[in-house]
Amino acid sequence: MKIKKTLSAILCAVMVLTACAVLWGCTSNGNEQVIIYSNADDEAVESMKKTLDANGYEGKYVFQSFGTSELGGKMLAEGKDIEADIITMSSYYIESAQAEYQMFEELTFDVNTNEEYPSYYAPFLANQGAILVNTDVLSANGLAMPTSVKDLANPEYEGYISVVDIQGSSTAWLMIQSLISEYGEDETKEILTDIYKNAGAHIEQSGSGPIKKVRAGEVAIGFGLRHQAVADKADGLPVDFVDPTEGNFTLTESLAVVDKGDNTNSLAMEMVKCIIENGRTDLMEYYPVPLYKGEIADSDAISANSKVFPEALTVELLEKHRSLSESCK
Amino acid sequence: MIKHKVSPQKIIIVFTGILFGIFLLLPMVTILFKSFCEDGNVTFKFYANLFSDGSIVKAFGNSVLVSSVSGVITTVLAFIPAYAINYTNINRKIKKIISTLIMFPMLLPTITYGFAIIYSFGNQGLITKFLGGHFVDIYGMAGLIIGYVIYTLPVSFMLINNTMGYIDKKFMIVSRMMGDSRLKCFLATVITPLISTLAVSFIQSFTLSFTDYGIPAALAGNIELLSTRLYNEMLGSLPDFNTGSAVSIIMLLPSILSIILISVLNKYNIRYSKISVVELSGNRARDIIFGLISAVIILCVLSVFAVIFIVPFVEQWPYRMNFSLEHITEIFSDDSLMSVCRNSLFVALLTSVFGTLIVYGTALVSARRSEHRRYGKLPDIISLITNTIPGMVLGVAYLLCFKGTFMHNTFAILVICNIVHYFSSPYLMMKSSLEKLNAGWETTARLMGDSWIKTVLRIITPNAVSTLFEVFSYFFVNAMVTVSAVIFLASTRTMIVTAKIKELQHFANFNEIFVLSILILITNLAVKGLVRLFAVIQKKKGKSI
Repeated sequence: MKIKKTLSAILCAVMVLTACAVLWGCTSNGNEQVIIYSNADDEAVESMKKTLDANGYEGKYVFQSFGTSELGGKMLAEGKDIEADIITMSSYYIESAQAEYQMFEELTFDVNTNEEYPSYYAPFLANQGAILVNTDVLSANGLAMPTSVKDLANPEYEGYISVVDIQGSSTAWLMIQSLISEYGEDETKEILTDIYKNAGAHIEQSGSGPIKKVRAGEVAIGFGLRHQAVADKADGLPVDFVDPTEGNFTLTESLAVVDKGDNTNSLAMEMVKCIIENGRTDLMEYYPVPLYKGEIADSDAISANSKVFPEALTVELLEKHRSLSESCK
Repeated sequence: MIKHKVSPQKIIIVFTGILFGIFLLLPMVTILFKSFCEDGNVTFKFYANLFSDGSIVKAFGNSVLVSSVSGVITTVLAFIPAYAINYTNINRKIKKIISTLIMFPMLLPTITYGFAIIYSFGNQGLITKFLGGHFVDIYGMAGLIIGYVIYTLPVSFMLINNTMGYIDKKFMIVSRMMGDSRLKCFLATVITPLISTLAVSFIQSFTLSFTDYGIPAALAGNIELLSTRLYNEMLGSLPDFNTGSAVSIIMLLPSILSIILISVLNKYNIRYSKISVVELSGNRARDIIFGLISAVIILCVLSVFAVIFIVPFVEQWPYRMNFSLEHITEIFSDDSLMSVCRNSLFVALLTSVFGTLIVYGTALVSARRSEHRRYGKLPDIISLITNTIPGMVLGVAYLLCFKGTFMHNTFAILVICNIVHYFSSPYLMMKSSLEKLNAGWETTARLMGDSWIKTVLRIITPNAVSTLFEVFSYFFVNAMVTVSAVIFLASTRTMIVTAKIKELQHFANFNEIFVLSILILITNLAVKGLVRLFAVIQKKKGKSI
C-alpha cells in the first residue's frame, strides 16, 4: 500500500515536471525574436505591429512597453547591455544615449525626412499637445471652457483637471514648453504651481493618464496628446479638445537599432526599414503630423497653431525643466 | 558501513548552504556594500543625501502612518469574523463559508487591488454609481488604507482565528459564575489571552503594508511612500543604484524590528494545558449581530473585486454599458499576452516543485531525530532571515548582484528569487508537521537495514504527503501573485503576469489588467481545488486502511 502511494507521489512529480518541460518548450521557442523596447502609446505600437505582420515578420519580434522615464532610465543604466535589439523612443533621449554610450548603429537605408535628423535614427511619429475636455463633466459642473494652458491655473478648476508629471512622461514637456516660450521661466513657475495645486492627485505619471481620466469622467479637463482627444471625439464620446493660445508643441519619436557587435540581430535593421517605408500611412491616421517628404496632413487633424521650442531639445534641457517643475509642487 | 559514505543529510545541508549563500547572503551583502561604498571608499554620502532634503523622512513617515492605520483597522475587522467563528453558535456551514471567503484576496496580486478600488470608488466607479455619489477620495491615504486593509485582512484573520481556537472557553463560564459583568468577562477571558496575538496581527499587517508595492503603484496619487521611492530610485528616469540601496536598507530596518517584536510577543502567548470543549451559551442576538457584521465585512471586500468581473465584459466602461465579449476575445487572441500567462504558470510550477523539494529536504534534516540534526540549525537561521527581508529589497539586491551575469533576464532568477522570498512559512509548516510524526521510524528502519533515503521515500513521505501538497500550493499561489521582487527581475522574454500588469497600468488598459487578474484567480483556485481534492482522497484512503 505504502509503495503504491510512493509510486503515485513519484507519478505526480513526473507529471508536474513534464508540464514544466512542455511549458519550457512553449516559452523558449522565441529566443531568436527581435526584442523591441518602446515608450510609444498603444495605437503606435499596434500600428507598427500591423505593418510588421503584413510584411512577413509575424512572430519574429516581441514588443516590450515602458513609460518614457522608465525606458530612459534603463537606457542610461544599461547602455549596450540592454536586452532590446530595437528601441523606439523620444528622439532627444536617443540622442543623449548615443552621446553617452555610442549604443546605436548607423541606419543602412536612406530616410527622406522634411528636416535633418542624425544618421542613427529614423523618426516615425510626432506627438502634439493640446487641452482635452470632457464636455459632460464641464457643463455638469458649470465650468467655463479654457482657451489657454494658463487658464488651467484658474482656481475655478481646482479638483477638475489632470496633467502629466514631467518626472514620469515627456508629454508634460509639451505643456511646460508652451508655458516657458510664452511667459518665460519666472511666470511659468507661478502658473505651474497653481496648475499642480488644481490637479492635486491627478498629476499623472503616464502621458495617456489625462485622456483616460477625462474619458472616464474622473476630471473635466486635462492636458495630453491631441490626437487621442480627436479620436475619442470621432468615436462619439463626450470628449473635445482645445488648441491653446500658447500654441501646440511637438515631440518626435524615433526608431534606432542597438549595436550589439557580432550579436546584432540582422532582422532588426530590416524591421526598422519596413516600419519607416510601409508604416507611415497607417501611423498618420493617429499622428497626423507630416515627417517625410510627400506626406500631407488632414487640415483639421493638425493644429493651425503648431509651434517649435526656440532651444534644441536635449535631456539636459529636460532636466532643467524637470527641476523647474519640481520646484512648483 | 555508513560512515565512509557522505550522508544524504549532509549533502542536503551543503547544497542549501551554497544555494542561500549565493542567492541570499551575497545579494544582501552587495546591497549593503553599495549603500556605503563609492569607488572603493566607505561613504555615508548616499544616506546623507537622502536625509538632507527631508523627502525620505516624509516618505518614511507617510509609510509608517498609512501602514499603522491599516494595521489597526485590519486587526479590529479581522477580530469580528474570528469571534463569530469561535464564540457564536452560528451554523457550522456558515462558519466554514466565512472562513473560506475571507481568504479570497490572497488569490489575487495586490497590484490588481488598486485598479479594482479605482473602478469601484472612483467618480465613475461601480460602488460610487451604486451608492449614487462620490464619497471618498481614493487617490491618496484613503485608497491606500482600503487597499492595505483588504490585503492584510486574511493574514490577520488567520492569526486571530488560530489563537482563538486554542483559548479555553471554560474560563468564560467561570468568569460569569463569579459574577463578572459581560464586559469584564469579555476582557478577561477573550481579549487578555489574545493580546499578544492582536499585537502580532497589527505588526504583520503593518509590515506587509509597509513593504508592498502593488497597491501604491495604482493609488499613491501624489503621496510619496518608501516603496514608491525605492522603485523610482532603481527604475525611474534617473536611476541611482547607490541611493536605491540606501533606501532598501532603510526599508529593511522596520522589518527586522517587527520580526524581533513578533518573536518576543509569541513567548507571551498564553498556553492552556488543555482545551475543554464547551457548549457556548445560547444568545441569538450575539449570533445574529456577529454573523451579520462578518457578512458585511466579507461583502465589502468581495464587492470591491466585483468590477474585475464586470468591466472587461462591457463594451466601453462607463459609457456603453452593454454586454460584450469583444475585449475577452481580443485578449485571448493576443499571443504576447498569452505567452506572458504561460511564463507565469511556468515560473509558478518550477517555484513550487523546487521550493517544495528544498523545504522538504531541509525540514527532514532539522525536524527528524538523527546524528545530523545539529545541521538543522542552518535552515532555521535561513528561515528567520528570509522572513525579515521584504520582497522589494530582495528584488533590488538581485538586480544589483546579478546584472550583467548569465543569470540576468532568465527564468531561473525569478524562480530562485521566489523560493528564497517565500522559504520561511512553508519551511516552518513542513518542520512542525514532520516533528509530529513518530520519532522512532528512522531508527527502526535502520535496524531493519533500510538506508535513510529508503526510509524517507517509503515511510515518511507517504505520511507527509498532505503537508507536501500544502507547501506546493503555498509556493504556487504566492509565485502567481507576487509583484514586489519580480518587478525588478522580469525581462521581455521572461515577462510574467504581475509585472505585465504594471506595464499595462502605464497605459491604463484596465480590460487587460482585469482579465489577466481573473486568469490568475482561476489558476490559483484550480491548484487549491486540486490540493483540497487530494487531501480528501488521502483522508478517505486513511480511513479505509
